Amino acid sequence: MKTNGAKRELSLIVNGEVRIFHAYPMERLLDVLRGQLGLTGTKEGCGEGECGSCSVLMNGALVNSCLVPVLQAQGSQIMTIEGLDEDARICALQETFLELGGAQCGICTPGMILAACSLLRDQPQPTIEDIREALAGNLCRCTGYSQIFEAVAEAARRYSEHCSEPGSIR
Amino acid sequence: MRSHPADYDLVVPANLQAALSLLANAPDSWLPIAGGTDLMVQFAAGTLRSRRLVSIWGLPELRKIETSQEEVRIGAGCTYSDLRKSAMVQSEFPILAKAASWTGGIANQNRGTLGGNIVNASPAADSLPALLVYEADLILVSVRGERRVPYLLFHTGYKKTTLVADELIQSVCLPRRFAGYVSYTRKVGTRKAQAVSKVCIAALARMENGMVQDVRIALGSVAPTPIRLTETERILMRKPLARLLAQLAASTAAAEVRPIDDIRSTARYRASVVGNLVSDFIERLGSTQQGTSQVTSEVLARWNRLNAQEAENEILPCCGSRAWARGMVSRRVLRDEAATLAASDETWHNLNESDWMEAFRSHPRIGETSARPSLDSRSAAWSAQEQSRATAADDSVTAALREGNCEYEQRFGHIFIVRAAGRSGSEVLQILRQRLQNDDQTELREAAEQQRQIIQIRLRKWLRG
Repeated sequence: MKTNGAKRELSLIVNGEVRIFHAYPMERLLDVLRGQLGLTGTKEGCGEGECGSCSVLMNGALVNSCLVPVLQAQGSQIMTIEGLDEDARICALQETFLELGGAQCGICTPGMILAACSLLRDQPQPTIEDIREALAGNLCRCTGYSQIFEAVAEAARRYSEHCSEPGSIR
Repeated sequence: MRSHPADYDLVVPANLQAALSLLANAPDSWLPIAGGTDLMVQFAAGTLRSRRLVSIWGLPELRKIETSQEEVRIGAGCTYSDLRKSAMVQSEFPILAKAASWTGGIANQNRGTLGGNIVNASPAADSLPALLVYEADLILVSVRGERRVPYLLFHTGYKKTTLVADELIQSVCLPRRFAGYVSYTRKVGTRKAQAVSKVCIAALARMENGMVQDVRIALGSVAPTPIRLTETERILMRKPLARLLAQLAASTAAAEVRPIDDIRSTARYRASVVGNLVSDFIERLGSTQQGTSQVTSEVLARWNRLNAQEAENEILPCCGSRAWARGMVSRRVLRDEAATLAASDETWHNLNESDWMEAFRSHPRIGETSARPSLDSRSAAWSAQEQSRATAADDSVTAALREGNCEYEQRFGHIFIVRAAGRSGSEVLQILRQRLQNDDQTELREAAEQQRQIIQIRLRKWLRG
């Protein structure tokens, strides 16, 4: 088989840490994260940008990592579900997903949490409509969504209280 | 078969000139890729038309929104999120902002670009009807220079365009002359996000003294390319709005499209939806003329701040069901009339049968002039208004209604619910007789639908003080 590309040295700042690796330019960001970098929290669902399971933040914007050729991500900041220490919103979301039944089989959960985190960064006090819209690209086959929406709403409340306590803002 | 990344090359040129030079040197071998929301799907499926890709993602020359007195130039590399966030697009080209908001989901909107949507040339693309009604021009660029072409002429057939292999779309120019136009857009599909539309419409009109002074209607998913409905537009031009005109426009529109049967829908369904959308658009033009599309937001602003119990009590008479009122309160903050009506529909549909019954019980029997004493005074006043035409009927109709009500209650176990506003006593009687033929389940759904419409009418009255 004719080979067009060759592996090259690339770097990403993943969850605040510089990571250097070798990859083909058209390798999917998803595969690099899971394979080369061992960050298997990001899940593959449909592999065609329909289900949101592989959502990560790239330079702060929510993207489907199955649709990003890794060369286009060269040098960018990537946040995955493993980056929960990087953002207190993710901690709050993780707690409320657990408490309110927002996670069942778990395949959609990392993507849901990243999508919700992206919403709360832009919109700290979202309405239920805001939450539904922000998560509309993330499919869940278990929960029926209500518990997920409640978990996001509750995380928003807790996070805004947490921010209003003096000295607690990160 | 799935592609292997080793078989593909991708280069990231430093600027637009470098990208154009690559394309100029070997135009047929390089495939430009922006956010990858279409091409990476083809890559996964092994159907990409080239193994050499040139990235144009993030090129600053393609990601500007520039404004002059006459037009707005949107860089082809602007994402749907860029369009949604642009105050200029929101205020002057609201249909485009709306279309961007229901393309894919947030993650795809952060990567998908306007230029990509145009070049991908899907007849179902959500943003393309908007470009047709705003009469966009495209600026195409290559090392040979720039050319400007009307977007209307860009698509020459299914997935075919006039773009030459060494060219890129640089920008989309929208003329700034649609202030004062009424805009209308809808996507009909299985859901707003992610799903590809069965039919999508964008329409604009300028009205003056009840006359259509200028109109343009464009549709997606109903022909090999996005299309303008020129014949339907011609029928509407310089005509006063009237029921007959709306009917003629709707049937002309349904005949003017060339839809197909596919996995998402059927040709017949699509044509019939096109007719409905066009008549909905014309109805919207009528209501805009009467000034009824204004939103009284002070009512919501105050209600949003009330404590839960007060808010529940205040909104309860719009429906009569406590569970509905609680659902509405839990959906706060509600920002405008549209959000309020949408929240109501959703809450109403998700209630139990017993909650529906509670709402039905809050109405007086139709045709009875005095409300039962247990009714809330505001609900009773609204019922009186809604039923005013029906109760003005002559004695024989009133007597027949009373009899019909009794029969209905014995048959179905709850009072007869019908949206009475604007209906005469004999119309209501006719509907009552038809509905007596329904089986229990059909009738319950019908009553719930009538109640939904009543709630919408009441919410609008409430919001307008």
